[in-house]
Amino acid sequence: MEPLRYLLVLGACLAITAPLEWVIGARVYRRPRRLALTLVIAMTPFIVWDLVGIGRGHWDFSSRYTLGIDLGGVMPLEELLFFVVIPICALLTHQAVLRLGARVWPRGRLAREAAEAGAIASLASEAEQGAPRA
Amino acid sequence: MPEYTLLTVLAIVVVVLLDLVVVRTRLLATLGFWLALAIMWGFQIPVDGWLTRLDEAIVRYDDQHFSGVRVFLDSPIEDFGFGFAMVLATLMVWTVLARRERSSIEHAGPSAD
Repeated sequence: MEPLRYLLVLGACLAITAPLEWVIGARVYRRPRRLALTLVIAMTPFIVWDLVGIGRGHWDFSSRYTLGIDLGGVMPLEELLFFVVIPICALLTHQAVLRLGARVWPRGRLAREAAEAGAIASLASEAEQGAPRA
Repeated sequence: MPEYTLLTVLAIVVVVLLDLVVVRTRLLATLGFWLALAIMWGFQIPVDGWLTRLDEAIVRYDDQHFSGVRVFLDSPIEDFGFGFAMVLATLMVWTVLARRERSSIEHAGPSAD
């Protein structure tokens, strides 16, 4: 089990946040194109930073707790997956906060932010204009 | 200043400037961002701690390349700055893409996500 430890930590992150998509309706996994593009654009600089950190000896990884699959001989597979898993958790959390906030306080600040972010159809403006949206 | 500390400060400055001045997503001015960040920092304590705890470290930090300040489960304090920059960068790009999709939908008529 020990070599699986880093992978299991990431798996736990995905498992804990999954209900945000499937129960609260965050709609992150259901926008695969936007998600993929976000990961590539936003994470590239952080992966470069990580490689710089590895190269300059800022940190390294225990071979005991990783699978031993080192990409390019330097970055454990799990470390690359970190830059997929953690931003997904961030997006799910943010979308869920906006959706829940809009549900609890339909005319509150979070509802306004949710509508601006496209996390919900614009509830308040619908109510004001009496114009239902498909 | 140790390099990890320096890079963390630099990353924070860059993402904050991008959000407020350059890209103008202005997530830092929203309640939703700070609530989400508070929740994520709460989870970062055990998750990052599980990676950094000194007795069974998965990721091992060289003490001379960061401030030396370890918090909670031996996490370098810089990790929370790294997390902040990473989260803000992610939400910023998502927001830009969402806006772009919406404006192209408004111009081209209804379409799927």
